[in-house]
Amino acid sequence: MMVYKEADTPIHRMNPMPKIIWAITILILSLIFDNPVVLILLFVATIPPAIFGKIIKEWSFFVKLGLFFIPVIVLLNIAFNHNGEHILYTLGHNLPFFGSPVITLEALFYGIMMGIRLLVILSAFAIITLSVHPDDIVMLMLKMKVPYKSVLIVSLSSRFIPTLLSDVETITDVQRTRGLELDRGSIIKRIKNRVPVLVPLLANSLERSVEIAEAMEARAFGENKKRTFYKELKLSHADKLVSVFIFSTLLVGIIARFLGYGTYEYYPVLSPIELESIILGVLLFSMLVIPYVSVWITYNSSEPLAHGGRQ
Amino acid sequence: MNGEWREGTVLTEGLHFTYSGSQTPALVDVSITIDEGEFVLLAGPSGSGKSTLARCLNGLVPHFHGGRFGGKVVVCGLDTRRATVAELARHVGFVFQDPENQLVSMEVEREIAFGLENIGLPKDVIGKRIEEALDTVGILHLRKKHPKELSGGEKQRVAIASVLALHPNVLVLDEPTSELDPQGAEDVLKVVERINDELGITVILIEHRLDRVMHLVDRVIVMDRGRIIADGEPREVMKDERLRETGTEIPPVVDLTLKVMEHYEPDILRDGFKIPLTVKEGRKILRPLFRRVNGVEWKPQTHHQTGKTVVLIENVWFGYDQPILKGVSLNVRKGEFVALLGRNASGKTTLLKHLIGLNIPNKGKVVVCGLDTRRATVAELARHVGFVFQNPNDHLIADTVFEEVAFPLKSMGYDNIEERVNEVLKLLKLERYRDCYPRSLSGGEKQRVAIASVLAFEPEILILDEPTRGLDFSLKEYIMKILDEYRKNGRTVIYSTHDVETAARHGDRAVIMSEGKIVIDDEKHKGLANALLFSPQINRMIQSFRRYGVPDEILTVEEALEVIDMGLRRGER
Repeated sequence: MMVYKEADTPIHRMNPMPKIIWAITILILSLIFDNPVVLILLFVATIPPAIFGKIIKEWSFFVKLGLFFIPVIVLLNIAFNHNGEHILYTLGHNLPFFGSPVITLEALFYGIMMGIRLLVILSAFAIITLSVHPDDIVMLMLKMKVPYKSVLIVSLSSRFIPTLLSDVETITDVQRTRGLELDRGSIIKRIKNRVPVLVPLLANSLERSVEIAEAMEARAFGENKKRTFYKELKLSHADKLVSVFIFSTLLVGIIARFLGYGTYEYYPVLSPIELESIILGVLLFSMLVIPYVSVWITYNSSEPLAHGGRQ
Repeated sequence: MNGEWREGTVLTEGLHFTYSGSQTPALVDVSITIDEGEFVLLAGPSGSGKSTLARCLNGLVPHFHGGRFGGKVVVCGLDTRRATVAELARHVGFVFQDPENQLVSMEVEREIAFGLENIGLPKDVIGKRIEEALDTVGILHLRKKHPKELSGGEKQRVAIASVLALHPNVLVLDEPTSELDPQGAEDVLKVVERINDELGITVILIEHRLDRVMHLVDRVIVMDRGRIIADGEPREVMKDERLRETGTEIPPVVDLTLKVMEHYEPDILRDGFKIPLTVKEGRKILRPLFRRVNGVEWKPQTHHQTGKTVVLIENVWFGYDQPILKGVSLNVRKGEFVALLGRNASGKTTLLKHLIGLNIPNKGKVVVCGLDTRRATVAELARHVGFVFQNPNDHLIADTVFEEVAFPLKSMGYDNIEERVNEVLKLLKLERYRDCYPRSLSGGEKQRVAIASVLAFEPEILILDEPTRGLDFSLKEYIMKILDEYRKNGRTVIYSTHDVETAARHGDRAVIMSEGKIVIDDEKHKGLANALLFSPQINRMIQSFRRYGVPDEILTVEEALEVIDMGLRRGER
């Protein structure tokens, strides 16, 4: 369910190259900035492609996964990080190893922002997973002159992921009917309980890989002659232009960071939000959203007959 | 390249092969010549060397599977010892048994392009060949699909298209239908027939179910223990005693005719009649005989179980996005032997999984041995219900057969494990594999180990999901007999199958599912007779004799012979 599905939307039709550069840009920007405004705006920038691509339902699964982790990150942060001046709660007792822990407003806020950073990355990743055909990623790699055998490994792995998942499901079922209780006992016991699932899974995969190799050789794989490619990723001038534009967003971000914009002090007290960082956030946001808005407008203004689907 | 070659398209001379690490030879002195355009069926029990011979033809043996190779194989003028597998791939298309593991791309079009890209054809030629291959195999509508969206039969047709695009002279298919349901199998075989008929491509097909293909082929080669033991026209080979001795399944109509000739009417084939291979031919030849046995008072032997109800399924609805089961109700009594039939995706496996709590109904309820599956855990249910899954490989985790069978006993906390294991190994004739690594055994042996590991804790209810899939005839019969013995000890056996003939010979009740509903649930003679697709071959033939007063509930060769015997004796008196 959480994988690519064929659909005719402006986002699905968009060339994978700019989309992947876009996701990498968001990843890097979210890692170099810790300003709350920038982080939140980066997250908001990932929403329009999800809407235009009609993948909101699947996308929200990934976001919910992230939301599930935020409390964990926050808890860990307030438990181990006692910086900050606004103490919300003090534990009276002296604990071994922890000392006398305090919970501070600053640590709480920092934890939340780190959670949002995770959300940004997950969301951008979700857009790529849901709107780029795995084959397009393969073709993109070929376009970037990655050796065919390496590309083939990527392609074969993604081809057999669904097979592997259904294998896990069946084998788990089999071992449960043999009296295996996966979710019982201590953590060590639970991990040990998985062994009867792992062994057949690995053995099946090994046997499968031999069969796949056989089938590939039987269709002339490994012939010395130069291999041709039936489908190649086509990059139009427009695609190149969009890619360059998105890449320039990354450059803007990196330069701004070097000039000291978009930083934020969480400790010892939360510093005020500066106007510069708001301007920077809005600038990055606009630059990241413009490509999607423009493909959406072009799509809607073109004749419906011209919608040919993925190349 | 495609030069001229003398003699046959496929030629083997004194071919011997032994896999490395094995003591027994897989092929012994195999010499055959197959001419261009021939449609050859390769028959014989499992482990007789059919697959190995097939792999010799495209060079996978000895280039991919190493071993000791003797003799000579020449295919389309190429000596396979000197040619590479890739070179041979242009001449010999190979379709494998497992539909899943031979598709390497994420889209059907790309799958077909794969081989063409490998041999370096230019783009425009590839495009043309893809269209041609899709069209020949009749899968134009699947061109953009991901393999996971395809049924088994569709996957096999994609595999055929992907080798056909290479324009081979010979097509070799290694049990292409053994994992498919009857409809999927028929779709695949129709395509193969067409490729042979209309494109004149030489076809070499391995298939266990002779009744499906006998009428299509020009020639049958029978193998046993690595040797060719019979080779000739289908009708001639059918008469050959040696075929029966290998334990190959003789199509029921052929079997009946041969037995009638042996016991009652030796000259039934006069007037230029030949051994019948299809229902149509069977009717023509056997009609006069059945006319003479009209009005026989024959009732099939039935076992009516009156034991207590052990499985109660009440109006079960189940599904994720879409319902898979739509209001299924079923009641199974102690001591019953139930066959669950139906196409793939009709809900058989889904229903079976309800009986051990792996699936919990969205609506309705399932009570097994007094336990409501909504409340009991799988582990609790597993003490009463044994479940053998389709693929024995998913069962096998241990280093030896002994440990494999002991594993569930240990996790359920049984004592006297040693004794129980030995007993069940004996029952399934697995004693000599006691210390072997289970995964190194043959398919049929692995299936027996999987069944043994479940039988060891003597569940009250035994459930098997397609236990006979891909097995040869004698093994099928053996396993069904063990199951029959097991239920006679007051236990219940429920199994799913595609194989109507097996369901006709064994068990006593047939439940047929279609699109998530039970459409037929009856004693097997009532349930399987007088249907089109779900009647066994003998019954389909006899349906037209009903008007002579021949009992129409006959399902098997034995029952047909019984009726003939009664009818003819009556005349004598």
